[in-house]
Amino acid sequence: MVTTELVLVSGKGGTGKSAVTAALAIERARRGQTVLAIDLGSGLGLGAHLRSTHLTYEPTQVIPGLWAMTMVRAAALDEYLKTQLHVPTGAPTKTLTSALNVLVDTAPGIREIISIGKPAFEVWKNSWDAVLVDTPSLGQFQSYLRAPTTIADLVPTGNVKRQAASIAGVLTDPDTTQVVLVANPAELPVLETVEAIATMSDEQLCPPPHIIMNRLVDRATFSDGDLQGVTDGPLRQAAEHQLSVEDEHYRWLVELGASSTLPYLRGVLTPGEVAFQLADALERP
Amino acid sequence: MTRTIVVTGAGGVGKTTVSAGLAVAQARTGKRTLVLTIDPAKRLADALSLEHLGDTPESVEGEPNLFAAMLDVSASWEAIIHRYADPEVADRLLVNPYFRAIADRFPAAQSYAAGERMAEYIESGRFEVIVVDTPPSSGGVDFFLAPARTGDLMSGRVLRWLTGSRLPGRSILYRMTAKPMLRLADSVLGGPMLSDVADFLLDLGTMYDRLTVRSKTIERHLTNAATVIVTTADPTPIHETRRFFEELAAIRIIPVAILFNRMLPESWVDESSVRGSERGAASGPEGALRANLDVWAAEARRQVDAARELSARYGLPVYELAWVVPPPATLDALNALVSPIPSADHF
Repeated sequence: MVTTELVLVSGKGGTGKSAVTAALAIERARRGQTVLAIDLGSGLGLGAHLRSTHLTYEPTQVIPGLWAMTMVRAAALDEYLKTQLHVPTGAPTKTLTSALNVLVDTAPGIREIISIGKPAFEVWKNSWDAVLVDTPSLGQFQSYLRAPTTIADLVPTGNVKRQAASIAGVLTDPDTTQVVLVANPAELPVLETVEAIATMSDEQLCPPPHIIMNRLVDRATFSDGDLQGVTDGPLRQAAEHQLSVEDEHYRWLVELGASSTLPYLRGVLTPGEVAFQLADALERP
Repeated sequence: MTRTIVVTGAGGVGKTTVSAGLAVAQARTGKRTLVLTIDPAKRLADALSLEHLGDTPESVEGEPNLFAAMLDVSASWEAIIHRYADPEVADRLLVNPYFRAIADRFPAAQSYAAGERMAEYIESGRFEVIVVDTPPSSGGVDFFLAPARTGDLMSGRVLRWLTGSRLPGRSILYRMTAKPMLRLADSVLGGPMLSDVADFLLDLGTMYDRLTVRSKTIERHLTNAATVIVTTADPTPIHETRRFFEELAAIRIIPVAILFNRMLPESWVDESSVRGSERGAASGPEGALRANLDVWAAEARRQVDAARELSARYGLPVYELAWVVPPPATLDALNALVSPIPSADHF
């Protein structure tokens, strides 16, 4: 029985998906889990947040208990062909690789299934407690989830189709897979997230997602009334700024209805600091 | 002669808002200005009279010299196909599932469509200034690389592998796909995918020559444009801005300015440290206000450091745009947002 948990993280560009993926992975590793974090996105985001700029296809340990890797298409293609398609012995592997390369460039679904297939293979190995995946933008994430269907429409039979169906089985299994959507308290991220949730639910692409509202400013410990008699100057300006940011942020939080929140960090310099501070925030009750 | 300002930057930094601000400011100096925008928030779209989300330039209510248009990627690709493919081929391509997949997914597709639109408006001579908001992928660098990449796709790199020559006729193709190895590939993959793909690429390939010529023109427009980078002082955008500079340098595009968006007043930093040194045991509301200033001052300090560091590193002017909450969504507020940029420097 597979006990590995698969966590797929997505969200609109700029909302902090990579930081949140890194933080979720760090927090699990700190709890003693053996964790693999996979970057399916730009290849830079997750690595920067884990303070490891040179992630490769081969997982490397970044902190105790946490390994990280990045998607390298040629390597993934090779692995897919050898371990997943069960190409008959004696077959011209080079020709098949070239053929797959052609399809990766052009055919709908193939590139996506090879990308989203990797996390599924890692789940099947059953050697991790959790596999966390930093996926590209919301739009591409949905193409990943749709890939099995797209492929089934394209090819009537064969290993590619069978493989895609098995992957779909993992992605839609609520006992294994959790989808996390990261949003920010602003108009476009909220509206795009709402739209994505509706589409994913209509098309039954995955179990109901967990929504994290990232970069939500903490509530002030003062109120409007406390500003009475405070003359104009930085003290007053900073207080007014805080209150208007709060208004804006909590308005969008209400609109989206997040499952959990992560704080807006102030005075932070590097992507690494961000991820580790968010991991600290996750540990707080 | 049309001046073009290309606005680039990482996702979520306010590129679309800043683009609109630059366009309003230009229009208010009396120049006939077009802002070509991608995916504006509702309030911003309203300010730009874009409620119909039109793909053709519409004049902006209340701003006589300003026009706005939205980029509709799907419509743009159809226009491109009709323009560069023979009618019969165009009809075939537009209903082909492979084409739809590429137009929707190929990262360069949206960028190429934006570049094509930009070029059309530049060449129309209708505007003195065009401000172009760029698609969000990889900080906008795709926008500059798209013409060349689109050429690669059309040039049949893939076809060459399948058939061994650049633009073979269909008969060669069918002889090739009859080869045992390709038949084996199809059987492992589960269908006549390779020959379908080849069919599609043959059609696409007929556009290659015309599209290559066009790509070169678009690239020239991009080289002549003023590129500005929008960032915030947040760690990820700063990280991406650095990467973006390297990638732009590789294709010999040198940005003219960095616009730091969502900046806090520097005066908070000094005020915070003065108060910090004389702080007694303030509690209650007074203490809460001070504590609030301290955390925002820490943020302001980091912003100042980040802006100076980036300016020194690239030797470029850095303009600081204020953090406005909620985001500016009237013409006056958009104009005010870019007011720190001196008019003489309007790129």
